[in-house]
Amino acid sequence: MFIDKNDTVSHDPVDTAISHVANSQLNHPLFDMHFEFFGIDLSITKHVFLLLLIAFITVPSIVFLVQRYISSKTKIPGKTMNFIEMIVVYIRDNVLKSFIGEKYYREWAPLIYTLFFFIFVGNFLGLIPLFDLLGLINYVFGGDTFLKEFVHGGNTVTANINVNFALAMVTFFAFTIAGMKKYGFIEHWKNLAPPGLALPLYFIVVPIEILGMLIRPLSLTLRLAGNMMGGHLALIIFTMLVIGIAEEYGFAAGLGASIFSVSLSVAIIFLEIIIASLQAYVFALLTAVFIGMAVNVNH
Amino acid sequence: MDNALFQVDPGLFIWALVVFSIVLLILKRYAWKPLLDFLDEREKDISNSLAMAESAKADLEKIKDESEKILDKAKKQGKTIVGDSKQKAEQSANNILNKAQEKSNEFLVEAKSKIDLEKKRAIKEIKEEVVELSLDLASQVLQRNVKDDDNNKFIQSSLKAVKTDEAKS
Repeated sequence: MFIDKNDTVSHDPVDTAISHVANSQLNHPLFDMHFEFFGIDLSITKHVFLLLLIAFITVPSIVFLVQRYISSKTKIPGKTMNFIEMIVVYIRDNVLKSFIGEKYYREWAPLIYTLFFFIFVGNFLGLIPLFDLLGLINYVFGGDTFLKEFVHGGNTVTANINVNFALAMVTFFAFTIAGMKKYGFIEHWKNLAPPGLALPLYFIVVPIEILGMLIRPLSLTLRLAGNMMGGHLALIIFTMLVIGIAEEYGFAAGLGASIFSVSLSVAIIFLEIIIASLQAYVFALLTAVFIGMAVNVNH
Repeated sequence: MDNALFQVDPGLFIWALVVFSIVLLILKRYAWKPLLDFLDEREKDISNSLAMAESAKADLEKIKDESEKILDKAKKQGKTIVGDSKQKAEQSANNILNKAQEKSNEFLVEAKSKIDLEKKRAIKEIKEEVVELSLDLASQVLQRNVKDDDNNKFIQSSLKAVKTDEAKS
């Protein structure tokens, strides 16, 4: 529906709402790379741009802050570094050490931390209406500037199932590799089912365990996407309510509705801030739990 | 699924994997490993200094106990020393007093004997003086009447009396 070849702008409220959270249309990327990798189009869509933006925010700032902190003589962290250190220490003590264990946590700590900060920055970038602002500037300047290329699609990259599935696959491979590293290839797969069961039970337990293992990345993907999408959809619906009422019942009614909708939107934004932090933490936590389950098998 | 929210985009999937892997590698090398090492070291330092403080506290307690013991011992010793020296002082004072007493007694005895001797000598001298005086007197009397036999006899008897007295004393 939204991905139509003619790139016509839909006026259906549902389409408009979805366009605010979805990626830009695949046939209308920001920068058309004209490059295909085994038939896969690698053009830079808005969400690819956002991924790169996350990398450009996360990597230099964290590396700079950590290096400055470590090499400083006083060893006193600044405000941002203090925040990072607080998260790092909290995750180390409450997630890594308790789920993966003292012995193996250092091996997997960088992955968990990177997952957390990557998703955290992605979630918060989604809360800042960067592209909507560009759209407004475009509108002010007559609606036909180069900025209009940026206004298609939403800016929450972590609401995109492709991105989340990639991250979830990283988790999947992480816990598979963790298990294999500790127990060896065959033993790791044997760990799927507890030993000592009656033979017929294995025919039930093994498929269930395999299914459970495969569902893990899927649940990670959908949990994060759903959470990030839901808040934004609610925000857009409340905002569009004002326009709908104004169109239907006139300007004054729209103004009246705006009081209701703006205050509710502000409340939702606050909720979104909590969810953005929480979901980043949940993703990192579950990754640690899965790795812990693969490493510490207790039958 | 024909929905923009669930549109499958393998390109984005690959982009996400690549970007995340690069971020992971860089952060692992330059941020997380050094930070974890640094935090470990700092915690080790803190626990070390805590242990050091604890041991220093224990040492201090020990030293305090020891110093108290030493102080107690010193007090006891001081007391015994004072007691001893008091006793010694009393003893020596007594000794000195006794000696002084003895000496003074000796002096007294000596003085008495000296006084006796002096007394005897004085008496002797007085007696001699008396003899001389009486001789002088006698000579003066004699110059007037030498020829008087009675006077002569008297002088002779007086001289005898003096000599016997001298012999007695």
